[in-house]
Amino acid sequence: MKRVTIDVGGTFTDCLVLDEGGDIHAFKSPTTPDDPTVGFTDVLDKAAHHFGLKLPQFLSDPGLLIAHGTTLSTNALLTGKIAKVGLLATEGFRDTLQIRRGYKNVNTTRFNLFVPPYRPLVPRYLRLGIRERTHYTGEVSIPLHEEDVLRAVSRLKDEKVEAVAVCFLHSYLNPLNERRALEICRAELKGAYVTASHEVLPVFREFERFSTTVVSAAVGPITEKYLKTLRSKLGDLNFKGTLYMVQGGGMVQSVEESARRAVSLICSGPAAAPSGAIRLGQSIDTDNLFSVDMGGTSYDVCLIRNGVIPTTDMNWVGEELVAMKLVDVPSVGAGGGSIAWINSLGLIEVGPQSAGADPGPACYGRGGSEPATTDADLVLGFLPADYFLGGEMVLSEDLARKAIGKVAEPLGLDIPTAAYTIFTTVNSVMADKMTEISTKRGYDIRDFALVVGGGAGPLHGGHVAELLGIPKVIIPRFAATYSAFGMLNMEVGRDFARSIISRRSLIDLARVNRLFDEMEHEGRQVLGELGIAAEGIVLKRSIEMRYVGQFHEVLVTDVPLGHIGAEELESIVQAFHRRHKELYTFEMPGREVEFLNACVKATARREALPLAKLARATNGADACLKRRRPMLWDPAVGYEDTAVYDGERLGAGHRISGPAVIEERATTVVVPAAYECSVDDVKNYILNRR
Amino acid sequence: MAQVDPLTLSTVWHSFQNICKEMRHVLDRTCQNYLIAQLHDLSVGIWDAKGRTVSIPIGLSVQYMGGKLAVEYVLEKFKGNLNPGDVILVNDPYHGYCCHLPDWGFYRPIFYQGELLFWTLCRAHQMDTGGAFPGGYFPNGYDIHAEGLAIPGIKVMEADREREDVMELILNNVRWPQGTRIDNYAQIAAVRLCEQRIVALLDKYGKQTVLACVEEMMNRTERAVRTTIAKIPDGTYFGEAATDDDGTELDVPVWVRVEVCVKDDTLTFDFSKSDKQRKGFVNSIYNSTYANALMGAFMFMDPDLGEFHNEGSIRPITVVAPPGLVVSAQYPATVGASPVSVGSQTLQAVMSAMSKAMPDHAITSWGMRNGHYIFGIDPRSAERYVTTTFDMDGGTGAVSGYDGHEGPCGMGSLGTVNKGNVEELEMRFPWTYKRWEFVADSAGSGKWRGGCGMHWEVRNDGGEAGVATGSSDGEIVRGPGALGGEPTRNNRGFLIREAEQSVVRGHRLYQLKPGDTLLKLTGGGAGVGNPAERDPQDVLWDVLNEYVSVEKAREIYSVAIDPLARRVIEDETRRLRSR
Repeated sequence: MKRVTIDVGGTFTDCLVLDEGGDIHAFKSPTTPDDPTVGFTDVLDKAAHHFGLKLPQFLSDPGLLIAHGTTLSTNALLTGKIAKVGLLATEGFRDTLQIRRGYKNVNTTRFNLFVPPYRPLVPRYLRLGIRERTHYTGEVSIPLHEEDVLRAVSRLKDEKVEAVAVCFLHSYLNPLNERRALEICRAELKGAYVTASHEVLPVFREFERFSTTVVSAAVGPITEKYLKTLRSKLGDLNFKGTLYMVQGGGMVQSVEESARRAVSLICSGPAAAPSGAIRLGQSIDTDNLFSVDMGGTSYDVCLIRNGVIPTTDMNWVGEELVAMKLVDVPSVGAGGGSIAWINSLGLIEVGPQSAGADPGPACYGRGGSEPATTDADLVLGFLPADYFLGGEMVLSEDLARKAIGKVAEPLGLDIPTAAYTIFTTVNSVMADKMTEISTKRGYDIRDFALVVGGGAGPLHGGHVAELLGIPKVIIPRFAATYSAFGMLNMEVGRDFARSIISRRSLIDLARVNRLFDEMEHEGRQVLGELGIAAEGIVLKRSIEMRYVGQFHEVLVTDVPLGHIGAEELESIVQAFHRRHKELYTFEMPGREVEFLNACVKATARREALPLAKLARATNGADACLKRRRPMLWDPAVGYEDTAVYDGERLGAGHRISGPAVIEERATTVVVPAAYECSVDDVKNYILNRR
Repeated sequence: MAQVDPLTLSTVWHSFQNICKEMRHVLDRTCQNYLIAQLHDLSVGIWDAKGRTVSIPIGLSVQYMGGKLAVEYVLEKFKGNLNPGDVILVNDPYHGYCCHLPDWGFYRPIFYQGELLFWTLCRAHQMDTGGAFPGGYFPNGYDIHAEGLAIPGIKVMEADREREDVMELILNNVRWPQGTRIDNYAQIAAVRLCEQRIVALLDKYGKQTVLACVEEMMNRTERAVRTTIAKIPDGTYFGEAATDDDGTELDVPVWVRVEVCVKDDTLTFDFSKSDKQRKGFVNSIYNSTYANALMGAFMFMDPDLGEFHNEGSIRPITVVAPPGLVVSAQYPATVGASPVSVGSQTLQAVMSAMSKAMPDHAITSWGMRNGHYIFGIDPRSAERYVTTTFDMDGGTGAVSGYDGHEGPCGMGSLGTVNKGNVEELEMRFPWTYKRWEFVADSAGSGKWRGGCGMHWEVRNDGGEAGVATGSSDGEIVRGPGALGGEPTRNNRGFLIREAEQSVVRGHRLYQLKPGDTLLKLTGGGAGVGNPAERDPQDVLWDVLNEYVSVEKAREIYSVAIDPLARRVIEDETRRLRSR
């Protein structure tokens, strides 16, 4: 039985195949943006070929599992290639979507007023008010005026909308009106993608719920169409296995479920990486990890404590808020293609502008002329000009030096010092982001091991770790296909949430128990449909709580399964106080607490991914010395002749002291002087601080 | 002084900015007061041992841009008596330069190896500060003492231990001591975090290097600001704006006037022609005027400088306001409404003058504040509550090249203020939302138009309640547009009791009965440029979306539209525009 992961990125479609012996094989094909299913089958074809099989033969194995991540919906949202959406809202509240709680342009400093105003996914003329109202208690104070819904439907039909979102106030508590309006829309608007806020995200706070629902509607048709095409294509190819979709929430789910809640595929790529990091952490026996992924334009960071993948409900995708729980992978605009520039204060900055893949950094020789991180890496000697992507592309140091001259000259620096400044600046940008994240959670960054992925990650990871005082760094052999590796490790499951909204003294425990029961029932059902037996299902509860009067919740995960009585309630409250103190340095034991949302995570039980072990190396690492070349480790000292090792030949147990560089086909590992690198038995490079 | 390399400078500089962001994060996640946690009525910053401004990326101008004067005050007051672990609390305008009493500031001196090197301040609007009515924005206080508890700079922590008797005295004089205590803890946690971070920075780079970076940071912003100013044609530019009245002498607008003098690479803001100090609560102290003038000036500088402004940005700027004016009030004047009324006008007047000096970079007034404080009893818990909001405020003003934004509000905060969620508010307060949406023809028109105003309507499901409309303005006066663009539209408020509808005005107090409905129709932001030059296709879009009516499109924008065919009637529009 083979496991396959396919990660469709902006440029490449990555594929990893885990074979029966625990060996992983990597394949790559160009992404085909017009119809991504072409790249999908192309890369599978390569994999089948590798195993000496025709594709239909390869796919006919009933045990074959394919986990598939795609940037399709994220890109659609970011580039505006979305469906024409109509919105039905409670009358008087159709502008909630545009008022959006007063947020200005979300990524611009408040001092910059020269930015275009926000334009919501649904323009005002397609947002229609419906007479109806549900009270905050759940009581319907104005029954649904069905004639308004019919009138709206007829208008939206004339407008030829492709999708409809129904968003009524307090529907998270009582979806009666919203559900009825939804039924009418589904019946009357055949062919349109129709959804409602209580289906997408049944929790309180209307702006966040409506925004998420509208995003789901906007990417719904394109997602549905893609999944349909993919299924029929796989069917034609005699596919007998199971296809799972990678969700932004960090788990995988069935194709049908993903089409129903299209928004769940937003951020599907980066969400996979942390699952891989946890597996890699097992090789050094830790589950406190900082998973980082440095690509061409961005640096994605995820802080994992005690093996728990963090999620957040404040996810801005471009200017849209997706408020469902997605893996918390904050990102900063720093990558191999990030461009260095000098701001009006005379400070060097790197990013967020990026040369991207095309034209790419100056050294690619494809017409880029601005200095990028990769140009600096090359000038410093870390990156081999003749072995980039295993030599598929020759890099030009002359072009790199010329580009770097653009920042060197105004700063009065020579080219190598300017390159070093770019290198260190981009490292600081990444390190700052990590510090910010650990502070938000109240942790000391030095207690975490760094797991490094991405094309540019292994080159910078060691230095970033050194800046932060991180003692251990794990660089996997599959750093270049980090997300695809993560997908091999993901859990099958889904998150559920329902609003409780009650202070402790007034809490209705019967209702709390009922909400948990409902969600757990639904969880068993959803997983059951995937053929997972009841005893194979793991349920985890959590509750979002706060002190009465506060506005932000703390997620309390110490919530017992089974019936919650007075005693269990007390233990949950105690856990909340502890967690509040841990996060924010203080607690208020005498103060009344409030229960907001109840959450259940339902997953299929599974074993850690089995990975084939390498035989121990019998020779010394010296035997794998490839060459030596000058590298700039310290501008005060100048270029130093440094050892370069051949990663393809290194084996388990080899040790290499920094400063050194290890060259692999798809990646270059830089080992700073402060670290010693050892190769473990699944071919991870482990950097230990000396 | 040691020389610093560009890399260290950049790293240290970013660290100072990040520390402020981390402080804000602590408050954001832990405060229980709506104003702080949701509306971001808070400020954090870092100053050096002499009180020079080091880092002020986050906050409301009046709360902290003049922080240097406040730090100098605390330094002088506690000379020889400052120790590690101290936290000093100040809210008094006349002893500590705080803009008004609800904005409590917690100061912490930051020592390194026994030497005072930096200060940090965390100021935030408390849910209550005592006084005759809750919230701080009520008119007709006899003097500053009537507005609430005035704290002239006292140590509330020594050696990191709370002075419990002092805090008890303070909290015994506010209406919601429990909640206020949570917010105070959060603020203290924030200034302590700042200290930890700065000490770590000093450990890492050494004192000499960090201090050298601070000097260099200031020199660089100074150079950048002077470069921008030098490009503005020398001359004197005039701007003025008014608030409806002072809340005591009714319906008599109060004027702020400024002459901006540009000479070489310096700016002087001279407020001498402003109205005299008033009896009512709109008086602004000099420190607030100074802060608003700086904020106004910063908006005309390179946006790259945005979060990096510091002492260097301040050096080329002089703010003149002789004592005794409404922009430089003296003890014992009341100041409760000044962050909104007179404060906003200071900003508006500065922007209006600067827009004349830099027409390609014109910035106009945002929708005027139409806030209020409601206080009463919540029948569900039988507890007292106070609530305020920015929900109904109109959008931002247009700038040269862009229309205003529809959602953001609060020009003094530059849009860091957030609006609420109906579902959260209805659960929290005994009020039901009936309508909250844009109103057609509510924005200042122009080649670039302002963001829209709102229809905001709520019903009182609680008992009797008081309403203080001190944070309202713009019912008589309008905030300036630029280059022929229309000013902000007026705000209007109504009280609906059974079938009767009466007018609710700003700067007043009202009593509400159960079942009363409060209706606010607010004005949007101001416009830039002649409306008859607006692209007819943009006008068509505005009409299609009911931001602008067909009638006003014709009357104001000189664009004829066929609403059914959804098109511009080209020849008719040409005729209208050639008149």
